[in-house]
Amino acid sequence: MTFFDRFCRALAMPLALVVLFVSLPINVSQAALVTTDQVLAETQSEADRERVLAFLAREDVRQQISSLGVDPDEAARRVQSLSDAEIAQIVDQMDQDPAGQGVVVFLVATILIIFLILIITDLIGVTDVFPFINPIGGR
Amino acid sequence: MHFDQAQIPSPPWPLRPGAACAVRLLRLASRLAGLILAFGLTACAATQTERLLEQPDGLPPRAEIAEVPFFPQERYYCGPAALAMVLAWSGLPVTAEDLVPQVYTPGREGSLRSDILGGSRRNGRLAVEVGRLDALLAELAAGHPVLVFQNLGLDLLPQWHFAVAVGYDLSAGTIILHSGTEARRELPLATFERTWRRGDFWALTVLAPDRLPVTAGQRDVVEAAAGLERAGRLSEAETAYATALGRWPESHTAVMGLGNTRYAAEDALGAEAAYRRAIELRPDSPSAWNNLAYALKALGRRSEAVSAAQRAVAFGGAQTTRYRDSLREIMDDGP
Repeated sequence: MTFFDRFCRALAMPLALVVLFVSLPINVSQAALVTTDQVLAETQSEADRERVLAFLAREDVRQQISSLGVDPDEAARRVQSLSDAEIAQIVDQMDQDPAGQGVVVFLVATILIIFLILIITDLIGVTDVFPFINPIGGR
Repeated sequence: MHFDQAQIPSPPWPLRPGAACAVRLLRLASRLAGLILAFGLTACAATQTERLLEQPDGLPPRAEIAEVPFFPQERYYCGPAALAMVLAWSGLPVTAEDLVPQVYTPGREGSLRSDILGGSRRNGRLAVEVGRLDALLAELAAGHPVLVFQNLGLDLLPQWHFAVAVGYDLSAGTIILHSGTEARRELPLATFERTWRRGDFWALTVLAPDRLPVTAGQRDVVEAAAGLERAGRLSEAETAYATALGRWPESHTAVMGLGNTRYAAEDALGAEAAYRRAIELRPDSPSAWNNLAYALKALGRRSEAVSAAQRAVAFGGAQTTRYRDSLREIMDDGP
């Protein structure tokens, strides 16, 4: 028997025990009052979305968005269709740049990308968001 | 704008002494270029100031809060001095000296922003961040002094500083600061914006919990109140939640916080009322039903508690296990 075999044999039992213990279901009761911090965490994504919408409602921001050729009301409607992760990204931008020029560009870019994706998915017939787009290859 | 200086990585192969020297020179040159560029970039835009001076958007042309006491800074104690000024203004009898053990870090020869935030809360004050220049001036116009964090130096050679903004004058284009050893220092708004930008636009209103910053959103205020709750200042937290509900009567999180502080203060009846209001606002909120169950249990109304806990399980969604645990605990407790 080589040294390596003996080494493996010596390790086998303790390792088996470790694996057994780690895989046992941990049964700690979570019964408790829900703390205010937990309530806050649960509503984070909702609050982020509200923040982006409030940002879009600012007069200077509406002007900037219009100057980029997007209707501000339409932009607000599209924000509703962004995912939580996308909203979180925009909020991140807002925190880095409180004055907001960069955010507007970022936001409009995100909204345009979503728009483009929906046009493409409409075209290939996966979605049907825009009634004026008919899927390629008929129905 | 943040400017990262270019880093020239070391080549993976071994260098002859001459080559190493050349690389070092290159690094030095890039560092210098970075310094010059940083100068150029930070010297230009003060965009928020420009916009504000063009369109003051309903801000009064000037404002000053005369009642803010001035505590001159000693040694590196700008953090304790600035915090003491706003706390004393809010009605607490404190001096900078009292706050040194709470907010000063000797190893850093200064105070951290989180220390200032924590220090406000430990003293029972509602601390809410302000991140825009127009909001900062609006707070001043509303009579709230604002603690500001600045980098008086450059990004590469920072000199961090805490001061207290006590007023402004739009026609002169200045902001008035209690700063360092100088009371009522008038600084051009554009210069202030640049130093504040290098401090990540960090500023704080520190108010008694029955007053709210005029520019803050509902969530910022509720988070600040939760900070008071975490710091163990239950009665101040309760006041802050109640004040927030005065402005935003529909705030589910604020009314949950109100219930939680009352429950922690062993006012189960008050907690019950708050949780019932939370359920009125959101009938399918599992956390409200869960906490109501605990309040009812504390009041000795076991069967009601059990049915509330069952509702929490029913609405539990992804958290069902946790609410099931609560239900079991409440049922096990005996009649």
